[in-house]
Amino acid sequence: MNAHTPVLEAQAIAVTFGGLKAVDGISFTLKAGEIVGLIGPNGAGKTTLFNALVGLQRLTSGQVLLGGDKVSGLKPHRVAGKGMTKTFQNAALFPDMSVLENVLTAALLRHDLASARERAGAVLHRLGLGAIAQTDVADLTFPQKALVEMARALATEPKVLLLDEVMAALTPSEMDEVMAVIRSLRDEGLTFLVVEHHMRAIMALCDRLLVVNFGRLIAQGTPAEVANDPVVIEAYLGQGAAHGAATGAATGSTTVAGGAHA
Amino acid sequence: MRAKLTPGLVLLLLFFVAAALLPFYVDPRGHVLRIAAMALLFAALAQSWNIVGGLANQVSLGHAAFFGIGAYTSSLLYLRLGISPWLGLVAGAALAGLAAALLSLPTFRLKGHYFALATLAFAEVMRVIANSWASLTGGPVGVSIPFVGSQPLNFAFRAVSSYYWIILGLLALVCLVFGLLARGAIGYRLRAVRENEAAAEVAGVDTFRVKLTASVISAALTAVCGSVFAQFTFFFDPDSIFSLAGVSVRMAMIAIVGGLGTLAGPIIGALFLIPLEETANAFLSSKAAGLSQLVFGAILIAAILIQPRGIMAYWPKRWSRRAPSPAAPRAEPALAKGGQ
Ligand SMILES: Nc1ncnc2c1ncn2[C@@H]1O[C@H](COP(=O)(O)OP(=O)(O)OP(=O)(O)O)[C@@H](O)[C@H]1O
Ligand SMILES: [Mg+2]
Repeated sequence: MNAHTPVLEAQAIAVTFGGLKAVDGISFTLKAGEIVGLIGPNGAGKTTLFNALVGLQRLTSGQVLLGGDKVSGLKPHRVAGKGMTKTFQNAALFPDMSVLENVLTAALLRHDLASARERAGAVLHRLGLGAIAQTDVADLTFPQKALVEMARALATEPKVLLLDEVMAALTPSEMDEVMAVIRSLRDEGLTFLVVEHHMRAIMALCDRLLVVNFGRLIAQGTPAEVANDPVVIEAYLGQGAAHGAATGAATGSTTVAGGAHA
Repeated sequence: MRAKLTPGLVLLLLFFVAAALLPFYVDPRGHVLRIAAMALLFAALAQSWNIVGGLANQVSLGHAAFFGIGAYTSSLLYLRLGISPWLGLVAGAALAGLAAALLSLPTFRLKGHYFALATLAFAEVMRVIANSWASLTGGPVGVSIPFVGSQPLNFAFRAVSSYYWIILGLLALVCLVFGLLARGAIGYRLRAVRENEAAAEVAGVDTFRVKLTASVISAALTAVCGSVFAQFTFFFDPDSIFSLAGVSVRMAMIAIVGGLGTLAGPIIGALFLIPLEETANAFLSSKAAGLSQLVFGAILIAAILIQPRGIMAYWPKRWSRRAPSPAAPRAEPALAKGGQ
């Protein structure tokens, strides 16, 4: 794979549930080291698209290439092995295990038990979760669960990580911490596709945005471009969220520009 | 892997020492030792079942199939070809493992009740085959192993205590296998499968392979128990060896009543249920037909209603918890403290 090959390429992905086209022919590419946001109203098909990418959801048509290799049709553990995994929107941790054991299980993908334990500890520490390593996941708060989700996904050592609303319940300062971690991981070469409803976070974090509605890709571009796209504003107007999107974009875009020159 | 000497492990070792000494304190030819041997054998069976039923939550109601495969393989090889049951036991284990692997192809896609029913059907099919393929199995009359006196190389002994110690050794082996699996990498993967299969896959666990491995090991150990059972009782027939209530459900029940997925659960369950069943039989079977089964069933239901997690649920959790990790660095951000 050379520098110009996209690390992830989705080609006309479609997923149909009965008569419902949850994902309706979506194509896009991710370049290595990009942080791309995937936004859209509730029920737009974001989670379904994630499931299709990682192999949890069978595609009705289309294909997925990871680093040039076809991964659509593979089981999720094979896709994880090739370097792509996701977090679950409604944290799907292993409830009878401790935080450390949850993360350790994922680290077993590439390590034996002893070094998986070390790797898991290191990942937890990096996400600021070291102090709760021995806690039962049943005792965690919702934001902690989302972060343990992220730690578990990171423990598979992915090249492409799909984050499904990991920041949903975080306070603004916690959100800043998580965004700093995501950026530093990106600096190490990770590529992110991020679903988030917090416009402030999305605008500040992402290099590029993909906007979906009713299973279709309706717009893409830089956060500033997308925020001013009439099609996007129209889509969000139906949700009564246009105001949030527009104001978020106004504050967020300056940050992105500042970051790009730094 | 370092096995820490937890209070539970110490108790377990004490149990094995006490059990090994039992034949010196009871009548070596008596009824008590036979019941004790049967309780240990069923503990081993329940522990074999626990590998899939407890660790992976694949509730099989057809493990009698593997039990019977073990019993028939070693017995027929011995009676027809004169092959020592010690070797026959290995052949039976291999055959049962193969059967489990083949069975897993269609059944692993099934969830919960459907999986249980499919395994149940498999054991029923085995029972029907054993009954009808008389030229191979001897049919409904069953299989009798002639008494040949003491021939240790042919798994034949005069004293009940010899069988008793072999069965105790078998239980130790099965417990060791369970312990190694539970604490090893596959143990984490099996628990992940049990708790959330989709999340396990996404986290890189090959859920099919993990379940397959556990099923094959579980089936092979169950078959070994079957071979040993055949040598110990000298006689079995298709309906008893492939019995749903007498074998498949009983192994599951012992593990569940003792504590699903725990190392000590099957032992505690067997030590509780088998003597209870024997007592119920001894005192009640003369009173009215089926009364002892009724009472036994009622006790089972009560036990499960009172504590669905089994007797092991009363074991203090802090005693089985692993030692905490070293103190976390202070410099961490606030996220770990949580709160909304
Ligand atoms: N397994 C399923 N079977 C049938 N329909 C489904 C299934 N999963 C999702 N859908 C439907 O597909 C559509 C897209 O759902 P999806 O969860 O992907 O949306 P989303 O963009 O993630 O929404 P949100 O922002 O609320 O998380 C919705 O109409 C949903 O009801
Ligand atoms: Mg969603």
